[in-house]
Amino acid sequence: MTAPVVSSPALEEVLARAGELIDRWRDEDCGTPTVKDFCRYAAALNDGEYIRRARALEADGRPVEAPALFLAATMSWEDGPPEDELRPDGLARRESPCTEGLPVRQVHGGQSVRLVRPPVAGARITATRAVVSARHKHGRSGEFVLLGVRTRFLSPDGSELTAVDETIVVLDATGGDR
Amino acid sequence: MTAPAAGAECPPRRYAHTSVQLFRFSAVSWNAHRIHYDAAFAASEGFPDTVVQSTLHGETLSRNALEWAGPGARLESVAWRNVATAVAGEQLTWAATVSSVEGARVRLDARILKADGSECVTGTVEVTLAG
Repeated sequence: MTAPVVSSPALEEVLARAGELIDRWRDEDCGTPTVKDFCRYAAALNDGEYIRRARALEADGRPVEAPALFLAATMSWEDGPPEDELRPDGLARRESPCTEGLPVRQVHGGQSVRLVRPPVAGARITATRAVVSARHKHGRSGEFVLLGVRTRFLSPDGSELTAVDETIVVLDATGGDR
Repeated sequence: MTAPAAGAECPPRRYAHTSVQLFRFSAVSWNAHRIHYDAAFAASEGFPDTVVQSTLHGETLSRNALEWAGPGARLESVAWRNVATAVAGEQLTWAATVSSVEGARVRLDARILKADGSECVTGTVEVTLAG
């Protein structure tokens, strides 16, 4: 009897769910980031020079551009969810597409970020996001699924600010074999 | 800086992320994944300490490239692949090689290396030098 291509039921379900979601784009309102949002991000990177420059521009009434990867690094723009709605690993549902309720764990495989125009404090931003690929693979540590997620950040006039392609590695948390 | 040439090596930079920085970066990027701030949970997933965020690696790749490129340089794109996990306090090294130069636009093959020289992150960074 031929062994199944996907030996993990959990990963098989991830692939099935991803198949339903691929290229279904969803919009998200990222709100209107402030100079404080930018400066707090810079502070976490120990970038005091950015903070001094941004606050000086703000004091002069000039536009303040976000740190280059501010949009790409921010995982969610939602208000919540509260803790009791998080998964045991701390991730929210939106941050774990296709995996809700499944015995899997996930890590970031990497990102590709293209910067078109820097977002400016006080300007509204929207994101449009979709799962764009799902591939089953075998590696040194066993089988896994690679989910490709694409996000485009847009300014109010619809022009692109930043485009992000990220790879999420989903692994079976139970050992996987049927 | 003098005009870079393809094949030139950038001076490597050594650093480590503290557990405080990992917590603060998780907080500011709204990343609640427990492997980044809960050492006991990270251990339950097989990691020796809290795990450096993928996006923090992206920041390190690009910020060191911009610093190397000099004042006024602009980041155009960055792409990276996580090869191995890095944790809080781990000694890491940023290294990069100029892979192409087209006018003011410079492309680097960049890497984050572990203390034993093995690759932790590999990627590319494109910057435009100031005029």
